[in-house]
Order: sequence, then C-alpha cells, then structure tokens
Amino acid sequence: MSVPPLGPPRVLLVDGDFRSSQRLASLLEEDGFCVEVVRDGHSAVRRLSTQPLPNILITELHVPLTDGVTIARLARAHNPDLQIVVLTRHPNQPLPPAFGSMPPVVLSKPLDYARLMEVLLVESPAARSARTASHG
Amino acid sequence: MQKETRFQELKRYVRLDERDARLLSEFGGLAQAELPRIAREFYDRIREHEDAHAVFTGEEQIQRLQKSLVTWLTRVCGGVYDEAYHEQTSTIGRVHVRIGLPQRYMLTAMALIRVELLRIADHLLGERAAPTREALVRILDLELAVMLEAYKDSFVERIQQAAKQEQRDLGTALELAEQRYKSAVELAAVIIVGLDRGGCIQLFNREAEQVTGYARDEVMGKPFIDVLGLEDGSGHVAGVLAKLLAESREGEPLEAALRTRAGKLREVEWSLSSADAAAQGIVLLATGRDVTDEKARDEHLRQNERLAAVGTLAAGLAHEIRNPLNGAQLHLSFLKRAIKRKSDPQEMLDATNVVGDEITRLANLVTEFLDFARPKPLQLKPVSLIKTLEHARSLAEASAASGGVTLTADLPGADVELVADAAKLTQVLLNLLNNAIEAGGKSVCLRGRRGPRHVTIDVEDDGPGINDAEAPIFDAFYSTKEGGTGLGLAITHRIVTDHRGTIDVDSRPGKTSFHVTLPLAQAAGE
Repeated sequence: MSVPPLGPPRVLLVDGDFRSSQRLASLLEEDGFCVEVVRDGHSAVRRLSTQPLPNILITELHVPLTDGVTIARLARAHNPDLQIVVLTRHPNQPLPPAFGSMPPVVLSKPLDYARLMEVLLVESPAARSARTASHG
Repeated sequence: MQKETRFQELKRYVRLDERDARLLSEFGGLAQAELPRIAREFYDRIREHEDAHAVFTGEEQIQRLQKSLVTWLTRVCGGVYDEAYHEQTSTIGRVHVRIGLPQRYMLTAMALIRVELLRIADHLLGERAAPTREALVRILDLELAVMLEAYKDSFVERIQQAAKQEQRDLGTALELAEQRYKSAVELAAVIIVGLDRGGCIQLFNREAEQVTGYARDEVMGKPFIDVLGLEDGSGHVAGVLAKLLAESREGEPLEAALRTRAGKLREVEWSLSSADAAAQGIVLLATGRDVTDEKARDEHLRQNERLAAVGTLAAGLAHEIRNPLNGAQLHLSFLKRAIKRKSDPQEMLDATNVVGDEITRLANLVTEFLDFARPKPLQLKPVSLIKTLEHARSLAEASAASGGVTLTADLPGADVELVADAAKLTQVLLNLLNNAIEAGGKSVCLRGRRGPRHVTIDVEDDGPGINDAEAPIFDAFYSTKEGGTGLGLAITHRIVTDHRGTIDVDSRPGKTSFHVTLPLAQAAGE
C-alpha cells in the first residue's frame, strides 16, 4: 500500500509570460495546488535541484534562456513519476522525441483551464491521492 | 647546234673517244673467252655477302644473271657507245635500284670487274696494254656514273613520293580537323550563327535550328536580326551588331529574346565575337544560350523562397499571438469564477484591464507585423540629422527617466542633411533607444556623426550585453525580451536596409553598441 504524499500536490510552472503565469498560478492555488512560478530556464533548473521536488511540472516549450524539453528531462531525472504538462504555441508541430518513455501531456495556448484541470485530476497519481485524502 | 645529251657530256668528261672505242672493241674480241669466268667469279663473290646475296631469288636466277653479265661485259667492250648504249645501261641501273641492290655492292662489284678486265688486258696485251687499260677505266667509270644516276633518280622520286604522302596526310588531317570543327559547331548545345559582313546568316547550327524552329535553308543569307525578330524596337541590338561588324572585336554579352518560327519568345544570352576564319564570308559569330527555362526555374525558386519566408513569418506570428491570447483566456477564466462568487470588484476590474492589455498587445503585434512584412514606401525628404536625433531623444526621455537610466545625446558639431524618411528614421532611433534603456544598464548614449558620403548613428548602453553573440537578433520573432513582439529589431533592420544603409552590433558586458550607417543621398528613382 502506497503512502499518500503529505500536503497538496506541488506544481512548478515555467513560462516567460509572467503575468499570465501568475494568473494561472492563482487559479491553481484556489483549486488546491501549491504552485511555484519561474520565468526562465535558469530559475527552473535551480528550483529542480532543491527539495522538495514538485509532483507536477507545467512548462512552456519555449522559455527564455533554455527550452522546455531540457527542463522536463532534468525534472524527470530527479523524479521519474513526475507528471509533465507542456504548453505550446505551436500546436501543429510534433514534440521533440527527447521526453523519453513517458510522453507528456501537451496543451496549446491559449490554455483551456478546464482541460488542464481534467488532465491534472484524472491523470496525476499525486492529484488522485490528494483528492482521495481530502474526501476522506 | 644540237644540244649535248647527258651521256655525251659524260663521255666528254671522262675523255672516252673513238680511239678508246676501237681499243675496247679489239679487247672485247680478244677477251671473249674469259668473260664467262669473270661472271662466275663475280657471282661466287656475291654469295659470300648476305645483304648482296639477299637480292637474289634463287640459283636459276643467278645462272640467268651470269649470262646477262657476260652480255653486259660484251656490250661494254663492244666499241659502240651511243644513246642506245646509254639507255641500256640506265635500264640496268634501274633494275639494280628496283631489286634493292645497295649502292656499296654495285661500286665494289664494279671494282671486282675492273680488276679482272685490267688483268686480262695486261695478260693479253702485255706492254701494249696501257691505252686499253685507260679505255677500260673510262668506260667502266662511265657505266658507274650512269647506273648511279638511276639511284639518284629513284631517291628523288622517293622524296617526291614521301612529300606527296605527307601532303595527302596533311590533307586528311585538315579534313579531319574541319570535320571535327563542323561537328563541334553542329552538335554544340549552344546556338551558333555565323554572319557575313552584311549581317546575314551564313552558318546556322543544329541547336539554332532546334531553338528557333527554322531550318537552315530557310534562314541562309537572310538578315540575322529580322529573321529571328531580335529587335525590340529600341534599335539596341542593331546598334551593337553594326558596331561589331564595323570594328571587328569582342562584343559585350547581349540579352535579346528571339522569336521562333512558331512565334514564341525565347530568352537568349548572346555573345558576339569576330570570326578569324573568313570561311563562307563569315566575319561575326553569334553564340547564344537559351536561358528561357533557366530563368523560369530561377523565378520558380525565388517564388518558393518567398513562400517559405512567408511561411516562417506566419508561423512566427501565430506563435507570438498565442501568448496574449493565453493571457486574455486565463484572466477570463478567473473573471468567470470571480463573478460566480461575487468577488472584490477591484480584483475583477484589474482582470478586465489585463484582458484589455492583451488585446492591445495583439493589435500592436499585428500592426508591427504588417509594418515589417509590407512596409509603406519610404517618404524621402531632406532631413536634419541633429533635429532627428533630438526628437528621438525627447521621445525616449520619459521611459529612460522611469527606468532610472541617464540618456545623453552626442550631436555632430555642424548639422548634416540627409535624404531619408523622417518618421521611419525616428522609429529606428526610438526602437534602438528603448532596447538600450531596457538593457539593464545605467546610461544610454545616442551619437550622430557625418562621413564623406554617409552618416553614422550609434546607440550605446552599459548593460550586461547580448548573451549569444551569434544570435539572429535582427530576425523576425527572435526575442528574449518579455512582452516584446520580436519584431522591433527586424523592423529597424528593414527600415535601415530600405534606406540602403547598414546596421550591426558590438556587444560585451558593460558596453553594447548598435551602429547604423545611412547614405547622405538616395539613388535616383529609389
């Protein structure tokens, strides 16, 4: 029997469009997530090398100073169970194959918040555990 | 007086006279019995020498020749030395030549015979032999002289034949070269037209036939320009041709479309040159390359490149549009939720403001995109450099002040007037100034100077510099700046190059300098 993680699921949100990220973070926090926002690749890499690691990574494919693929790979290396959501402004372009065996969920901008919640609640083991825990 | 024959001349030279003839005749009669022995010994001696013997075909022939030798000896000592005699000796000489008897054997053989005859004379005549001996020496030398003539004749003939052969070979070679030349002209993948002094066609190769659709005999002797419809009405082609026909030199390459037999136009690049070989009266060779298909291919390629560039730009635009759309969308999601739970009105008002901002951002993006992709034509007028620099500085002053950046202008000592689009030039300066102000430094300097034929404008900041020196910062949608459209520098670059100027950048931590040069005057018609 697995031990449910303590506290709300932790989300790391990486996007260069800072004002929109903050709005997204406020929505997610209202919905029970603990969100950290960073605006570039360097900050993301720094955050991923400190504990506690996030359960969920939401990253834009194009972020300043590096790219979403690198961030996702690094995060996956730290946490193989990490759930990854990639936000893209190129919905028609195939994703780089570097994400490994567990392909991330890709959502295009403009982001449909209801769809993001669906993804996070249905597909995330962490989120499921959180729900189970909160509903007793 | 009858002309002396060669034989008479020879006889006179060796002093062979009637007395000699009589002495020889007497000797011939006395020596008759000895002659077969001489002949036999003669041929026995030949048998000892390979090269000499090689000319004989067999024993039978030798027997026959021995008899001939006896006949000859009898004739030599016959006392009659007339033209018939000379002819017979010549014939023998020619036989020697024909059978390939080397001259050295003829000379030595004659020595052999001479020795034998003199010995016989001594033997038969004793003390009275001297005059006969002299006569014998004379007649035998005469024989030799005549026979050697045959060798000389043969030699001359051989030289003549060799010369003739050489001539024939040369002719063949020339013919071959001409054939090669003809087929080279004929099969060349270029149009080759030969023109006479009157500009009429005298040579029309296969490629010319293929491109024009005219058969050779249809155009022969007809005026080049008229037949191929080369003149576009300007008289240019005719002028060039007339000049070349008059001056006979290499001409400039010439582009002139020709009209085919079927009436189609083909683009041809001509090169005209004087013909050295005046065969068929050709003084000018026009070689032409049909570039119609090539040009169509190039145009197609350019069109593809344009489409690819448009595709790249469109993708860039689509990419950039999605961030403001995303911002608006997320704030609308928030608003929906806030309205449902009747949140703080100020919070909701802030969110609607953000949506408005994002819409403005979208509108700016689209406007800038059009500015870049399809700029309005330049409104060129004389512009004061100092006024333009000061105007740009005053426009950037506010943002510099709010960013805590000191903005200075370093103006030229005397004003410079340049021809430019003042509004677009201001846009360039403002773009560069705003970039510099936002670069993260403390001071920005705008500097203008004049050069001999251009002005230079520098915008310098003391910020941390551009990260990647190789970054394509002037490309559309290459931007690392938050909230930027990614078009600012692309538009700046476009305006500068539209003015036939240049823009480049030097950047290191603490000093980044954008460097613009603009020509003082714009070329006419542009």
